[in-house]
Amino acid sequence: MKRAPAPRTTPAPLQEARATPLWKGDRLFRLVVGFCALLVLVSLGGLVLTMAFGGSKAFATFGPEFVVSNIWNPVTNQYGALAPVFGTLGSTLIAILIGVPLAFGAAFWLTNIAPPVIAGIVGTAVQLLAAVPSIIFGMWGFFIVVPFMAQHVQPFFRHHFGHVPVIRWLVHGAPFGYGLLTGGIVLAVMITPFVTAVMRDVFAVMPPMLKESAYGLGATRWEVMRRVIVPWSRAGMIGGVVLGMGRALGETMAVTFVIGNANTIGWSLFAPRNTVASLVALEFPESAAGSLKLSSLLALGFILMLLSFTTLAFARWLLREKKA
Amino acid sequence: MSRMKDTGRTMGQGWRKGPRATRRLVTDRLATALSLGATALLVIALASILWTLLRNGIAGLSIAALIHPMGPPGTNGGLANAIVGSVIQTVVALLIATPIGLGCGVFLSEFGRGSRFATSVRFVSDVLLSAPSILIGLFVYLVLVAPFGHFSGLAGSVALAILAVPIIVRTTEDMLRLVPVAMREAGAALGAAHWRVVLFLCLRSAAPGVLTGILLALARVSGETAPLLFTSLGNQNWSFSLDRPMASLPIAIYQYAGASYDDWVRLAWTGALLVTLGVLGINIIVRFGFRKKQS
Amino acid sequence: MSEALHESPDQKADPESRDAALEVRDLDFYYGEKQALKSISMDFRKQSVTAMIGPSGCGKSTLLRIFNRMYDLYPGQKATGSVMFDGANILDPALDLNTLRSRIGMVFQKPTPFPMSIYDNIAFGVRLHEKLSRHEMDARVEDVLTRVALWKEVRDRLREPASGMSGGQQQRLCIARSIATRPEVLLLDEPTSALDPISTARIEELLDELKRDFTIAIVTHNMQQAARCADQVAFFYLGTLIEMDSADRMFTNPRQKQTQDYITGRFG
Repeated sequence: MKRAPAPRTTPAPLQEARATPLWKGDRLFRLVVGFCALLVLVSLGGLVLTMAFGGSKAFATFGPEFVVSNIWNPVTNQYGALAPVFGTLGSTLIAILIGVPLAFGAAFWLTNIAPPVIAGIVGTAVQLLAAVPSIIFGMWGFFIVVPFMAQHVQPFFRHHFGHVPVIRWLVHGAPFGYGLLTGGIVLAVMITPFVTAVMRDVFAVMPPMLKESAYGLGATRWEVMRRVIVPWSRAGMIGGVVLGMGRALGETMAVTFVIGNANTIGWSLFAPRNTVASLVALEFPESAAGSLKLSSLLALGFILMLLSFTTLAFARWLLREKKA
Repeated sequence: MSRMKDTGRTMGQGWRKGPRATRRLVTDRLATALSLGATALLVIALASILWTLLRNGIAGLSIAALIHPMGPPGTNGGLANAIVGSVIQTVVALLIATPIGLGCGVFLSEFGRGSRFATSVRFVSDVLLSAPSILIGLFVYLVLVAPFGHFSGLAGSVALAILAVPIIVRTTEDMLRLVPVAMREAGAALGAAHWRVVLFLCLRSAAPGVLTGILLALARVSGETAPLLFTSLGNQNWSFSLDRPMASLPIAIYQYAGASYDDWVRLAWTGALLVTLGVLGINIIVRFGFRKKQS
Repeated sequence: MSEALHESPDQKADPESRDAALEVRDLDFYYGEKQALKSISMDFRKQSVTAMIGPSGCGKSTLLRIFNRMYDLYPGQKATGSVMFDGANILDPALDLNTLRSRIGMVFQKPTPFPMSIYDNIAFGVRLHEKLSRHEMDARVEDVLTRVALWKEVRDRLREPASGMSGGQQQRLCIARSIATRPEVLLLDEPTSALDPISTARIEELLDELKRDFTIAIVTHNMQQAARCADQVAFFYLGTLIEMDSADRMFTNPRQKQTQDYITGRFG
């Protein structure tokens, strides 16, 4: 985790794992560690399969409709994935839009501008805070950000932008403080330390001579950053952002407290929404075994797993292209 | 001698700054200011979190909170059973995850070259590392809770273990890769079997790094809430049996934070403070304790 | 000792030191507490090659990095004294570093191609300081690549990443990149230490060409190289300038015993 997720470099092969028949122990050893590896494979396989099987009832009942319907109604027993998926993607997008520029700016400052002592202290603090459990961010969001949004941010936007076309649609809604934007902000604060730490590490491994060459041509710090450091560390940066995105997508605790938990879709950033993870957290305990609702939740889980998997695979693909 | 002349000489034309140079300078200043702003904003947000946590957490911190089990609102309940439950579940989770993670890491570094199986294990481990933790909870529920008809501390531990394994796998593999080839060759030259070389030479020399991985996994896992929601469920009373629902700090925080009783909310903050201190404490030990030894 | 230096016959030959591109006077340099250069005074003549030799750690690279204020990147490093360049003291904190560095180019021990195409590597520095039309930029790129004898080799792959070139080509690209911004002084920090003998020879030839237009200061640990391409040679030891003279005299008849010991290979 401390390392930038740059493409894995494979050092030259050490000893080929010759399963030397001389030692029986080696066979057993290989079998045991191989079994451990298999367990890892099986646990993910099991995870995906149980979601798929558990959700099959929902997929069978609603068909493709499940993915595009935004109805989530336990009373009429009708379920659709669109609303929570919308909330998940929306809050993640907001988190990325806020978090990545912040992380980039902070990493730039820490590696190129700040005096080393301060950079060391702030950098370490940020790195440590990346480890704070997500429920803490959720509580902070619930007790600090939600009231702040309700009392200051939302009235401000309503007052100033409530009549501006287009923006009006983004800011309308009762000033409760809960909503997509609040969720996105809390997620942003949660992932920014992590993304910052990754970017800082990536920037720090830049060969100093390359940096000096750019300075030597008379480039300013910003020009060196933009023209040399960023292109050079693009792979690692993307890796960090995608990992941060993955965290935001699947996060439960930081969001559940603040998103408002309403299965709706709309333009308003201030209206309560829901995410897959928080919907599962809230409704799963109330779903009877074998019910259509349970199956729908598992189907949602399957979709979330797909989203998470796709982001990771996408990152891999991007990194691979860079390597070639 | 020429110094005297220098002072009288005027600066050459080449130093004159054109509009382009000024524009570049302004852009640079602007970028610098923005980056400072970004850092400041980040630091303020994080300071706000820590401050809120400290202020509210310390307010509720008392001996009673540490030795009384949870109880109904207004009964001077504490968090003792949740603390103990958390410790039990994390320790059991690590007991499960460490051998598997080590084994898998060893497999990847020793036998995992080029084979398709190893490549997929490596990828799957990375997928698990970033898999939504609540889904791991769901999975364990379906496998270990639903068939037995009741929630259990063991199920919680297994869910946490699944989270911990990929962290241990990755650090173990990375650390083993860093072991110099010479050490393996020296071991092999003495006639030691491959498994002995790996277990007693490579793993030992990589031990600090591997231990770091295990501790980081511990830190990560001990603050997790979502995987426990449907597995160990939480428990208002003392429970030491892995076969029964078991309390844990994160679940207690989750239950209490949203409650409308003041004493519960206060306990939630205290719990949050305890969890954070624990997690940060482990991270600090890892970062500073080990760095010194290595350098 | 530095006083004695200025009285050297060489200096007397042209008392009007206006042909000096860089005039170093009483220069001290510190890495934190540690003094790395002690009261250096010397001139770098225009349109000539000055080589700096000495055992590693003697301060020759440090001196080179002062001329474009590279040390500014690292807190705790400090220079006092003066280095006059075009009527300004390079050490002046108020000096515009970007302009300074566009006027004093630098090439490093190892080739440092930027992660971009060959063309863009050269255009990088030019674009910082000048606004050129596409046509002008093409001409500039061709011009500098021709001067470093690289044009014929790479004319068909200007858009390909520079990382695909050989080490020697990369180093010539870096020289081309430095001269593309039309500096007056070119600093070379052991530019051939990572190269094979053939590439080294080509770069040395190149220096002879380049000195017609640039003042060149080169740090080298290779005495033959200094003898081959330098007009003046300065010998450094333990942060002090021991001796500076024309290359001929330096290698045939050094005045200081330390210099003699070094060039005859008795230490270093």
